[in-house]
Amino acid sequence: MTHERVAVVGIGQTKHKKRRDDLSIAGLVREAAQRALDDARMTWSDIDAVVIGKAPDIFEGVMKPELYLSDALGGAGKPVFRVHTAGSVGGSTAIVASHLISSRVHKRVLAVAWEKQSEGNAQFGLGGGKSGSIGAGGAFAPWIRAYIQKSGAPEHIGWQVAVKDRQNALRNQYAHLQLKDISIDKVRESPMMWDPLHFLESCPSSDGAGAIVLTDEAGGDAAAADGRAPAWILGTSMRSEPSSFNGRDPIRPQAGIDCAWDVYRQAGITDPRRQIDVAELYVPFSWYEPMWLEGHDIAPVGEGWKMVDRGETAFDGDFPVNPSGGVLSSNPIGASGMLRFLEAALQVRGAAGEHQVDGAKVALAQAYGAAAQYFAMWAVGADKP
Amino acid sequence: MTVSTQTVSTIQFPYKRTLGPVMGRFFSELTARRIVGIRSGERVIVPPMEYDPETGNELAHDFVEVGPAGTVRSWTWVAEPIESHPLDRPFAFVLVRLDGADTDLVHVLDAGSEDAVHTGMRVAPRWRDEPVGRIDDIVCFVPGEHADSPEGEPGEAQDVTTMEYFSKITYTDVLSPTLVRYANNLRAGRLTGQRCPQCNRVFLGRGYCSVDAILLGPELDEVLPDRGVVSNYTIITPTPYPGQKETEPFARASVVLEGDEMVIAQQQILDIPVSEIRVGMRVRAEWMPDAERDAAEITSKGWGTVAGFIKGWRHTGEPDEPAEQYMNRVF
Amino acid sequence: MTARQNAGETRETAVRQDSDIAIVATAQLPAVRRQELTETEMLLMVVDEALDKVGLKRSDIGFSCQGSCDYISGGTFSFVPNLDAMGAWPPIHESHVEMDGAWAMYEAWVRLKHGDIDIAVAMGSGKSSTGDPAAMYPLELDPYYLAPLGLDPVSLAALQARQLIESGKTTERELAEIAARSRRDAAGNPNQQVRGAEQDVDKLLAEGYLRNPLRKSDLPPISDGACAVVLVRGPRAAELTERPAWITGLDHRSEVHNPALRDLTDSASTRIAGQRAGGVAGVEVAELMAPFTAQEVILRQSLGLAEDVVINPSGGALTGNPLMATGLVRIAAAADQILINGRSRTLGHATSGPALQQNLVCVLEGDTGAEGDPAAKGDNR
Repeated sequence: MTHERVAVVGIGQTKHKKRRDDLSIAGLVREAAQRALDDARMTWSDIDAVVIGKAPDIFEGVMKPELYLSDALGGAGKPVFRVHTAGSVGGSTAIVASHLISSRVHKRVLAVAWEKQSEGNAQFGLGGGKSGSIGAGGAFAPWIRAYIQKSGAPEHIGWQVAVKDRQNALRNQYAHLQLKDISIDKVRESPMMWDPLHFLESCPSSDGAGAIVLTDEAGGDAAAADGRAPAWILGTSMRSEPSSFNGRDPIRPQAGIDCAWDVYRQAGITDPRRQIDVAELYVPFSWYEPMWLEGHDIAPVGEGWKMVDRGETAFDGDFPVNPSGGVLSSNPIGASGMLRFLEAALQVRGAAGEHQVDGAKVALAQAYGAAAQYFAMWAVGADKP
Repeated sequence: MTVSTQTVSTIQFPYKRTLGPVMGRFFSELTARRIVGIRSGERVIVPPMEYDPETGNELAHDFVEVGPAGTVRSWTWVAEPIESHPLDRPFAFVLVRLDGADTDLVHVLDAGSEDAVHTGMRVAPRWRDEPVGRIDDIVCFVPGEHADSPEGEPGEAQDVTTMEYFSKITYTDVLSPTLVRYANNLRAGRLTGQRCPQCNRVFLGRGYCSVDAILLGPELDEVLPDRGVVSNYTIITPTPYPGQKETEPFARASVVLEGDEMVIAQQQILDIPVSEIRVGMRVRAEWMPDAERDAAEITSKGWGTVAGFIKGWRHTGEPDEPAEQYMNRVF
Repeated sequence: MTARQNAGETRETAVRQDSDIAIVATAQLPAVRRQELTETEMLLMVVDEALDKVGLKRSDIGFSCQGSCDYISGGTFSFVPNLDAMGAWPPIHESHVEMDGAWAMYEAWVRLKHGDIDIAVAMGSGKSSTGDPAAMYPLELDPYYLAPLGLDPVSLAALQARQLIESGKTTERELAEIAARSRRDAAGNPNQQVRGAEQDVDKLLAEGYLRNPLRKSDLPPISDGACAVVLVRGPRAAELTERPAWITGLDHRSEVHNPALRDLTDSASTRIAGQRAGGVAGVEVAELMAPFTAQEVILRQSLGLAEDVVINPSGGALTGNPLMATGLVRIAAAADQILINGRSRTLGHATSGPALQQNLVCVLEGDTGAEGDPAAKGDNR
């Protein structure tokens, strides 16, 4: 049996901000979803099913919020589905939605991922409600130290990624941080939050949502015929491994390697460095850019930081990473993976505006979660596979 | 003396919600003792929604004042209210169809006794003395046609844009037999784990092999050394949040136990400035005094902790181990 | 009309395709008031048991999906340790839904439809005992209008039941009869928690209201538990078990969230899901997730189940309600009616959200023998 081909025909996101004090939770998800519907030239009634993703419910204090959000997303009488795979959830939400079409269960699916971090406090949530939460930064900092020492990377690599992504964000009207005067000096001099991570090497805390409308092949063809280029899904994958056992390499997790190669295989990619035009990688802390370049075999082990150092991942480099500004510039946690996935689709549709990478035909998106153990990735292309 | 097999913890947080234009309007009107609904096609929906719940279509901000009196459409009697209920005396949950509305409102009715409540009865709101712009500005409904209002005329409607929601849930966690054994060993000053017969790895405080997914019984228990090497660490600058007690930068280190088989994460290193912590440092456990050992932090979730039994780890003074081989042993 | 008549004379045994998907094995832990095992241990045990029944190993599984809920489990990212129950090394292809395990099964079913994977496992687990559901469940309601009122699930079920009674669609006696029947059936099912409770309808009716018009017998217990089912695609299913429970229809639907905006005496989402899952014609046994007696009446009427359809022979959610697994347990019980008891067509149902907001229907069929008769007829359980 061959799968149904799947196209992304609608993309929407909110303006991400520290606090969207103008909106309710429903208003936030609807801002993204309505934009995706408008982009797809659809209305709520055109949608067969809705898939919702977000990070832990304790962040907003709403249990299984897809129930309350069901009618806000036109879900009455439709299947409404909730995915939760830790930080990778925004990506797995897009993938689960795509599977509803590739399996031929549905034809038009709306996928929405969101977080309204300002309602609660993520440090509180991640600490299980207790004092002394180490937060995500505290959890990842030791691995970052290990990467730095093992690879021999100079410390300015982290600062450089922090600056690059914030400069990219200046091209993206939806990005939360708009740090016009960002510089290496500013990053270096910002407070040490989770040694060795400086404040400006870390992601912000954002309110935001991202949404995509996916269709079957006929829907993608129709959009193309209408002059609205779809993004065709070339491959999707999810992989997970246990958090903690002797012999695990959390710096370059096997699940990340397996996930990437599963996508590459489906997309016919044998040399990711050459065959992928642009990548949106989940980089909540600056050092994760070189770590994922190596962790997904885009760069050889120990060489990821050199790609950064040579400027190859910069907006005008030959392997741009996070032209959107990335998680370092906007982090509505549950939506952060979705933003990677939808930015990849925007790029291959040629619809990324000021942050459009010239000639992007194949784009890779990735999200990871928990103890760097959950991975969701997809590759999308301008050309139908 | 053995450990308690259950732990009780309360997770509470004052969530602060932003309301957006439609709910903001409804709550603002409540502060002036007015109830508004929103027009959705032929219907008036109360309380108002931003969208037609049937279709998802955005609704124009066409607000309609309704009530304040209405008719009970369904009810149930709560004889013994709990903390999360809005009234602390027996009351009824009711569905009320306010006059002028086409939908029901969920609220509570203070009727004195169960016998006084019936479907079809007329009710009206009892207003809060000092409105805050929340659904419980209507303290409850009361029998009759007339609202029960505080003395004097209501003030101008306040501009309500946010709402606080205090969430409080108490959990009682019962420890599994493996965790009880583990905690009792900790109380006796012994760090124990089980060795998986299949992969030969040792797992601490979980009772199963995370790699082979097999249960590990007491016969596989091994006492592990309470000495090891700092494999990695971070220094955390605490951020304030409700319940946070840390105010100064604090370090959390991972310790690889001697024999290289088990990592204990998020440990404190005692008696040295955080800036002197380094990878490769040899340390030994500093156990809590007998009387202070406490299993409250041992829970059935996660992968085993030594919190409540081991206060932290102290530098042994021995020469460091080479950092390289330990760096990625964090978790 | 009876189920047999409903089925019509012309319904023939379908020819199974390579793309068909079946449940080949199920396992559950008995629902108990307080389970001392961790969720990970519970899942590990039910996965072991389900796989053992058909001689499979974890390494045979191409995809797995878990359903659980942080708030019910009492921890942030509580599903992360549960991954260990799958032995996720080398890394595995899996997913997690913050929904009942029935929806985890839905995701697994969708994944199998792609044809590149033949075997999947779906799980659900929960420990309701750790928190007070009455204090916790308001958190799943509209956070602005409903949650602050502390509307607990029992009170909500009572508001629903009253409307059902006052609309003439049921009586308190019928509700007591449902409770009594569920308790009788549970007495013979070691997986159920409420066993040996009062089964005399008049005595039940003589008991006082807990939430007028509901009595204690109209309510589910608070339960801990876990469930796993093994799904197999194509001919492999028939190799693994004598009589696979083929999934001939699976659909789920949501409806308007706020219960006050719905007709609480009807379940429109269940009706749509039932129709889209192929309808109830010929269904002999239905396992409906009705944690409150009145909800069984609503579900039965919404699905249009004939009078002779056997409802909840397992004892149902009324006698064992391990939230986040309860729905999958219903589907497992419906599948076991085919796998073990030789039934031909059964239905499993799961619900989620306040007052039946979201509903899933799974229709299962067994292959009939050469003479057109089911291979065997077991007891009702």
